[in-house]
Amino acid sequence: MRGLLVLAAVFVAVFGKETFHGHQVLRITAVNEVQIKLLKELSELGHLQLDFWREPIHESLPIDVRVPFESLQPVRSFLAYNEIYYNVMIEDLQDLLDVELREMMRSRAFEPRSTDDYDYTNYHTLDEIYSFIDLLVKEKPKLVSKVVIGKSYEGHPLNVLKFSTGANRPGIWIDTGIHSREWVTQASGTWFAKKIVTGYGTDAALTAILDKFDIFLEIVTNPDGFQYTHSSNRMWRKTRKPNSGSSCVGVDPNRNWDAGFGGSGSSNSPCSETYRGPYAHSEPEVKAIVDFVKSHGNLKAFVSIHSYSQMLLYPYGYTRTPCKDQAELHEVVRRAVIALQRPYSTNYKYGSIINVVYEASGGSIDWTYNQGIKYSYTFELRDTGLYGFLLPANQIIPTAEETWLALMTIMQHTKNNPY
Amino acid sequence: MNWFCFVWTVLFSMVWQCPAAPSTPSPTAPGSTAQDEVECPSNCVLLIYSNRSTSEAQDPLVMTSTELNPDHYEAQRAAHAVRYYLNTLYGTPFRQLSFSKVHQARTEDLGEAGMKYLLEISVKDSLNKSSEKLCSAEVVYPRGETQQPPKVQISCAASLQLNTSAEEEDFYKRYSAADSAVSGKDIPDSYGHVDPEMVPFWKLAGVASTFIMLNESNENTLYNLAQVAKITQLESQNGQLRLEYVVLLHDMISQEIIRWKMLVSWSPAEGVKVSDTQLLPKCHCKPPTP
Repeated sequence: MRGLLVLAAVFVAVFGKETFHGHQVLRITAVNEVQIKLLKELSELGHLQLDFWREPIHESLPIDVRVPFESLQPVRSFLAYNEIYYNVMIEDLQDLLDVELREMMRSRAFEPRSTDDYDYTNYHTLDEIYSFIDLLVKEKPKLVSKVVIGKSYEGHPLNVLKFSTGANRPGIWIDTGIHSREWVTQASGTWFAKKIVTGYGTDAALTAILDKFDIFLEIVTNPDGFQYTHSSNRMWRKTRKPNSGSSCVGVDPNRNWDAGFGGSGSSNSPCSETYRGPYAHSEPEVKAIVDFVKSHGNLKAFVSIHSYSQMLLYPYGYTRTPCKDQAELHEVVRRAVIALQRPYSTNYKYGSIINVVYEASGGSIDWTYNQGIKYSYTFELRDTGLYGFLLPANQIIPTAEETWLALMTIMQHTKNNPY
Repeated sequence: MNWFCFVWTVLFSMVWQCPAAPSTPSPTAPGSTAQDEVECPSNCVLLIYSNRSTSEAQDPLVMTSTELNPDHYEAQRAAHAVRYYLNTLYGTPFRQLSFSKVHQARTEDLGEAGMKYLLEISVKDSLNKSSEKLCSAEVVYPRGETQQPPKVQISCAASLQLNTSAEEEDFYKRYSAADSAVSGKDIPDSYGHVDPEMVPFWKLAGVASTFIMLNESNENTLYNLAQVAKITQLESQNGQLRLEYVVLLHDMISQEIIRWKMLVSWSPAEGVKVSDTQLLPKCHCKPPTP
C-alpha cells in the first residue's frame, strides 16, 4: 500500500501539476438502454479524451467520467440534448489532487524526496530521521557531511552531521535526544540542521560563524532508546543495554560521564531512571562522543539539549562549587534567554544545573567543561509540565525557532571570545 | 497503470486511516498485557517502588532561616506543592490553578515540627488568564523517615472561590446520563494530541492527580502528570460522576514515571474527590534474546 501511495504521489507530482486543471468528474444516471447506447457511442469519440471511471453498462449502475476542460461544453450539450441526467461529482480534479498531495505529505506514509518536503511539524521515527540526514548530505555535499562516530549497543550507527566550510577549524557541538523520550529535542535538531543549510550564505551572522567554526550536530544521540519509545514505551529515557545481574535494562546516558561519576546525583540501581552504569563511559553512545571530543581536540562550545522545564544551564551539576567561569557563562545565558523570549515570550530560568534543577552527577557538560570546553551548556526545552514529554507536534517549530535564537547567541559569543 | 487506477488510489488514500502509533508503554514480550494491568509477562519482573523519594534523597541543604533564590529548585518545589494544594481545593475539569512566578522565598527551620517555606507567588487561574493574584503561601514539610504530606496554607484562598460555570453544568449533565460510558487510553498520545472531547477528562485527571502529588510531596520531589494511561467511567453514585483512572506521574528529581490507579468522583456541587489510590508496580522486562 505504501509503495502504491508513493507511486501515486510521484504520478501526481510529475503529471498532476498542470494536467487536470478544470477537469470535472461527472456522475451520469442512465434510465434506459437507449441512453446506455448513446453513452457508449460518446465514449468512443476519441477526440473528447473522456476517461470513464465507471463504464456505461446498465441503467441500474452509475456512470462516472472524467471530462477534460475543453470537452466539458460538448459533453454537457450532448447530455442535455439527450435528456440524460448527471451531476458534478468533482468540480475541479486538480484542486482535489493538490489538497490530497498536501495531506499525503503530512501523513506518516509519505517519504520525502528532498529536505524541503520533510515534515518539520511532526515527530518522526529513527529511520525517517536517518533518511533525512542522508538526504541533507546529498543535497549539500560541499557544506554537510555525515560522520559516524560509533555504534549504539543495538548496532545503530551514531550519526553526526558536520557543517564545514573549510579545513582545520575549531568546532561547536550540539546534541539532541540523549534522553530518548524528549521527542521535541530530536525534532528540533532536525530543524536546526535544515536551518544551518538554508542560512549559510543568506544569514550574515550564521555565515560568519560557519566561516570560522565547524558545527557538529548529533540529532539522535540515543537511537536504541529512541526506537524503543516508538515501539514499546514512549516514556523510555535510558540506553537499552542490559545490566548483568539485573532484569532491568539501560543506563542513564547523562549520568555516565566521568565528571563526579558515582556521586549522589545519580543512582547505583540498574532499575532506576538515573542509573549511572557500571563505570564511567560504559555506554557506547557516551564513549563515542568522548572519543570524538578527545580526538577532535578543538571544540570550543558544547551544547546538550533536553526537555522539559524551560531552562538554560551551565556547569556544574555534581558539585556546588561554582565553575571558574561562572560569571561569564551566567551572562551569556542571561542574554541567550532574552533572545529566546523574543518570538513567543517563552520564559526560561537559567543558572547552574545544581542550583536551578537538582544535583546531577556524571553529566555531559560537566565533563566537557572539565576537558576545557569553556562554553558548555545544557537546555531544557518546552514545556513546564502541562504536556511534558508529550509536547504537541504543533509546538515543534516554535520551540526550535526560539531555541535557535539562544543557540545563535551562544555561538556568536563563542566566535567573538576565542580562547 | 491507467488513470482510473491511480486517481482512485489517490482518492482511496483520503479515507485510509493511518494505524495509530503505538504509545502505551508495554513490555517487549509476545502476548504481553497492557502496562496498566497489574500482571507482568512471565519474562518480566515486577518492581514495586520501595524507595520513595525520601530515601534516595540528595543531601538537603542545611537551611535555618534563609532567604532563597526564588528561581532555584528549593523555592520552585515548594511552589508546586502550593499548586497541588490549590487544585485539590478548587480544580475542576474546566478550571486549573498554577503559578507563574515565585517572587520571594525563604525558609524557617521549625526543628522537630519540620521545615517551613514562605513564598510570595503569582497564582494563575485557567479561567482568567489575563489576571494573576499575588499570594503569600506557607508550606511545612514534616520531618521523619516515612513520607508525610506537607501542610499548605495560602492567603488568597477565599478569593479563589468561584461559582460553577455553565460549561461545568453542561458537561456534568451530559456525562451523568445513565448510558454514559466514557473510556480512553494514552491521553495525550505519543504526539501530544488530545481529542477535543477528552480534554475535560484529561484536565480532570490533572486535578485529581494533585491529590496524590500533594500526598507524595517532600523537599526532594517535583511531580507533573505525564500521561493518562487509562480512563473508565463507572456508574454515577449519589449524583457524582465517577471515573477510574490510571495515571503516569513524572517525578523530575528521580526522573521516574510512577503509575497510580485512582477513583475520581466529581460534581459541580461537590468538587473533585479522590479515593482508592493505588501505587502500581513497574514492569521491568529483559529485551528478547537475539
